[in-house]
Amino acid sequence: MPALLEVRGLQKTFGRGRGALPAVRGVDLDVERGETVGVVGESGCGKTTLARMVAGLTRATDGHIRFDGSVLDGSSASMENRRRIQMVFQHPAQSLNRRMSVGAMLAEPLRLLAGVPRWETTDRIEEMLGLVGLDPAFRTRRPRQLSGGQQQRVAIARALMPDPDLVVLDEPTSSLDQSLRGRMIALLRRIQEIRDVSYLFISHDLGTVRRIADRVAVMYLGRIVEIAPTGELFDDPRHPYTKALLSVAPTMDLDSARERIVLEGETPSPTDLPTGCSFQDRCPLVFDRCREESPVLAPVGDYREVECFAVTHPSHS
Amino acid sequence: MNLLEVDGLTVGLERSPTSILANVAFSVPEGKIVGLVGESGSGKTMAALTMMGLLPDGIEVRSGSVRIDGRQLMDPDTMTVERRAGDMAMIFQHPQAALNPTMRVGRQIARVFSLQQGCGRDEATSLAIEMLSRVGIPGAERVARAYPHQLSGGMCQRVMIAMALACRPRILIADEPTTALDVTIQAQIFDLIRDLVEETGAGVLFITHDLAAVAEMCDTVTVLFGGQVMEEGSRDDIFRRPRNPYTTYLLDSVQKEVDPHVIEAGVDFELVGCRFGHRCRYAWEECGGVPDMFSVGAGHRSACFLHAMEENGAGAP
Repeated sequence: MPALLEVRGLQKTFGRGRGALPAVRGVDLDVERGETVGVVGESGCGKTTLARMVAGLTRATDGHIRFDGSVLDGSSASMENRRRIQMVFQHPAQSLNRRMSVGAMLAEPLRLLAGVPRWETTDRIEEMLGLVGLDPAFRTRRPRQLSGGQQQRVAIARALMPDPDLVVLDEPTSSLDQSLRGRMIALLRRIQEIRDVSYLFISHDLGTVRRIADRVAVMYLGRIVEIAPTGELFDDPRHPYTKALLSVAPTMDLDSARERIVLEGETPSPTDLPTGCSFQDRCPLVFDRCREESPVLAPVGDYREVECFAVTHPSHS
Repeated sequence: MNLLEVDGLTVGLERSPTSILANVAFSVPEGKIVGLVGESGSGKTMAALTMMGLLPDGIEVRSGSVRIDGRQLMDPDTMTVERRAGDMAMIFQHPQAALNPTMRVGRQIARVFSLQQGCGRDEATSLAIEMLSRVGIPGAERVARAYPHQLSGGMCQRVMIAMALACRPRILIADEPTTALDVTIQAQIFDLIRDLVEETGAGVLFITHDLAAVAEMCDTVTVLFGGQVMEEGSRDDIFRRPRNPYTTYLLDSVQKEVDPHVIEAGVDFELVGCRFGHRCRYAWEECGGVPDMFSVGAGHRSACFLHAMEENGAGAP
């Protein structure tokens, strides 16, 4: 059976000509039913653009997205696929309608996407509020009467209302205090158990992704450079960028004796990429071939893929 | 020796009994990094703003002393902090917002030299460029001519640090200095702050909600909740032997599995007594009063009535 979501050769370039900015440069990615795939990377790596293309909010320049067997075409996304793919944004205060009550916001997707008449929405709203851990009395509240954590619970409830198969979550915990993040992750996992929904979970916070994802994709400058099951990726990162990223992420473990790899310089501008591998100027393993040819994702072991000549063809380096 | 000593600091809303900081005390020794940690609303940023004399309108200092090298900075008549040049400098969470958008960054740093050391324009400019290269900016002369919007977040934060150092502060206050930055850049900024402490012997007050960053950076930690100091101790005390119920709660909420359906109430500033009282699993009648700081080890202190019971030989309730 094909995966629920199949992304193939996906590209997005903003603008054209000399100033064209290639945000996503050929991404392949699958999300299975009931699976959580985490996408991590730093500012400008294209993870949010990828999320928006999957959710149908940004049209791809090239490549395609197949959802449950049928190709998603941004221009004419069917009502049914709009219902089945939902999105949760980073800033709940901005993504909720300030003028609507929580109840009205939760009723809207039911009426518009699932064709449920207004008089039948009340029970489903109270059930959903219970699922995300909010009291039914929250129905009449407005966003400004809620804390950040409560607002994000409402945003998650709104996304789940039309009973989607895939929820795209773009940095859903980044605007929350660290002490609230664990609770939000536990909530999302509980919902997944009950509803069997798939998540595409975008975040720059490695600790959060580690706690929720089944598989993790690491993006750098518009491409996935490594993808592996979560445990394998965190225990034994293989791409030099993944290694550096994990080595400098702060940890509360005072006994950790890891060697920090502090990368030199900053991510190069996507409008001015070098020939060959885009990580070459910061890479400790760089050799001649990396400056001439672009690597592509290649299998390493059974479940992992890495985009690096030094890892996939070690004899040449 | 303690460079900075803050004692009995109480800050509140004008014409209201509500206090945002209640009898807060902490100190920063020479050449050490002291973490001030807490959730949103714990008062950590208010403490910093008080010391910098940057409190917003409508908020007043009721009592307290702020000493640097034993010299009292709190003016008893106006209850404001009168600091001298070189006492303290602060780096802010959003460097792009804290820099002047209409002035080239080199000029902004040069002005600090002109104002403080009275040097001429040319000398100030070359000192500024020297300072920019010292904080690891490649091509400092070129960057000095750039405006803040032309620089990345990581670059702007380096510029802020360069500006803060130009004052040659005894105390550097860093308020969430890397929250807006990626982890690979965060690692570079952390290294920079550590190098500075070693070179100049300045003390750093490191304000954050990120416990992992505290574990990486700090020598000692002060935990704030609802404007009250809950616990203070060495990094090992706080992470390995926490004694205050709030510290334990905070560490657990990040490290352990949590119940997704418990909604955390915010801070209740109307509450008399221990501000954590209504959320604390041990709370009893006693907690309607404010607990003293009890010594629970060498350099390790915690504010909780549980310690009074332990001293009296009784077990925990």
